[in-house]
Amino acid sequence: MPLNCDQWRFKAEGNMNVHSCVKATIMLLIASFIGLALASCGNNDDTRKLVLTGSSTVAPLAAELAKRFEALHPGVRIDVQTGGSSRGIADARSGVADIGMASRSLKPEESDLFGTAIARDGIAIILHKTNPVEMLSDDQVVQIFKGTIKNWKDVGGLEAPISVINKAEGRSTLELFLKYYRLKSREVKASVIIGDNEQGIKTLVGNPNAIGYVSIGAAEFNVDAGTPIKILPTKGVEASSENVANGLFPLSRPLTLVTKEPPEGLAKEFIDFALSSDVHNLIKQLHFVPIQ
Amino acid sequence: MSKGWDPGLVLSWTVAVIVAGAFCWLLGDVFWNGLGRVNWQFLTEAPRDAGRSGGIGPIIVSTMLILLVCMAASLPLGVGAAIYLSEFTDSEVGFGRMIRRSLEVLSGVPSIVFGLFGSAFFCIYLGLGFSILAGGLTLACMVLPILIRATEEGFRSVPSEYRLGGAALGMSRTRRLLYLSFPAALPSVVVGFVLGLGRAIAETAALIFTSGYVDRMPSSLFDSGRALSIHIFDTSMNVSGGEAQAYGTAVVLVFTLLSINLAASWITDRWLYRESIGS
Repeated sequence: MPLNCDQWRFKAEGNMNVHSCVKATIMLLIASFIGLALASCGNNDDTRKLVLTGSSTVAPLAAELAKRFEALHPGVRIDVQTGGSSRGIADARSGVADIGMASRSLKPEESDLFGTAIARDGIAIILHKTNPVEMLSDDQVVQIFKGTIKNWKDVGGLEAPISVINKAEGRSTLELFLKYYRLKSREVKASVIIGDNEQGIKTLVGNPNAIGYVSIGAAEFNVDAGTPIKILPTKGVEASSENVANGLFPLSRPLTLVTKEPPEGLAKEFIDFALSSDVHNLIKQLHFVPIQ
Repeated sequence: MSKGWDPGLVLSWTVAVIVAGAFCWLLGDVFWNGLGRVNWQFLTEAPRDAGRSGGIGPIIVSTMLILLVCMAASLPLGVGAAIYLSEFTDSEVGFGRMIRRSLEVLSGVPSIVFGLFGSAFFCIYLGLGFSILAGGLTLACMVLPILIRATEEGFRSVPSEYRLGGAALGMSRTRRLLYLSFPAALPSVVVGFVLGLGRAIAETAALIFTSGYVDRMPSSLFDSGRALSIHIFDTSMNVSGGEAQAYGTAVVLVFTLLSINLAASWITDRWLYRESIGS
């Protein structure tokens, strides 16, 4: 390949630009690293830090509790990480986390740990207010969701086809519902798949022959607001926040904070804060039931 | 077309339309649902109510810091390895071949594996904990193969006349590398950099166990910080009522990704074209 002078001059000019550009970038990188390093030195000493890991159901609640706790206690930092209940329990045991989060109660083999329930999560079966059905047995619910019972007249209602509203994959409500009724996800013959509680309630209001299930907090909020829905009892127990709080309602689970030792210091302060009545509005806002 | 419909043509057209349609549908869905949410407040405020309201300010900052760490760590390593592979070894035998093969394997490893490695090595073994630093370094491991391959191609495509000419003028090997090969290969380095950046910014699995879930404004690289993709994952899959915010965040992410890709193709077109005329 022949080379001539013009091309070499072009190259040389190119080098100048390229070099100043590279230099500027490197300087910028170094400067930002130094800046960040200095910033990190400044506030490492007087901060008290608490790490929470575990259940993705509890994490949003814990993160909100943490924000309010931090606002009340300057100099405290609470980091909330997810990963699932099992991880929360493993991390609490190994000491990676100060507090583990689990969306269930501790199992017998986990009795070496200390769990504190900070809220409960319950699920209510809901129907349209105009639907005459007042009660369904667990078996009837299973058959309706499996598609073996297809008409309301088979469970004492009107002559009308049943529309099943199911939750989308990945929702903790779906998990709890399937677990309680011993259903598999693929067995459910759904007419409508919905995401969050509000969407489920709106779908049901628009379809008087539908059946769905939502978080009890969301259902009660809507009944109070005059939405035409009806909450069914489960196993004869009325689906209410009170019955979830006192543990009578079967389709519910506790949101548990887990520690390796009996809680002390900052961990105890945070757990006590999570149990105080000051945060009940926060718990309700996230559609969970505070523990009385 | 006198023979009527050519089945091969019809088939390839159908496939092309399906591919383009899927892309447009995806973009349309994200922008249709999310564009209305994006405004100055959304871009600067902190998330509130578990991400259902508020903005994504701290999340954008965390994402940028993670990318900064990732690129600051991977760029020198990647360019160094590429120079070694292209200038100092025969990459088809011995040690060079071994490096090449391991890079090929690494570029096919699923990102969750990098996440687990990062969590075990950076977070626990090196004691960095959940931090932006750990997340960025994990991503650096992930983008290294891409960066090295693109850069190495660049160095290989530098005409050997440059090196020979430099040698004839009595330049040392280092000076030849610095003043002839490196400037000529720079566009490829930039393209590799941009491709790596694109992969890094879209990553979720490698970050959830390393940089973590905390949506507070980070005050140092040792803080945990939530990346954009993790925020989308959490608000769409975990927080009921968070879909709208997830769409808004997705618009920001997709927009950034598109800009990065456009920048990459612009650089390739403009710069590489000029270079090829230059040589």
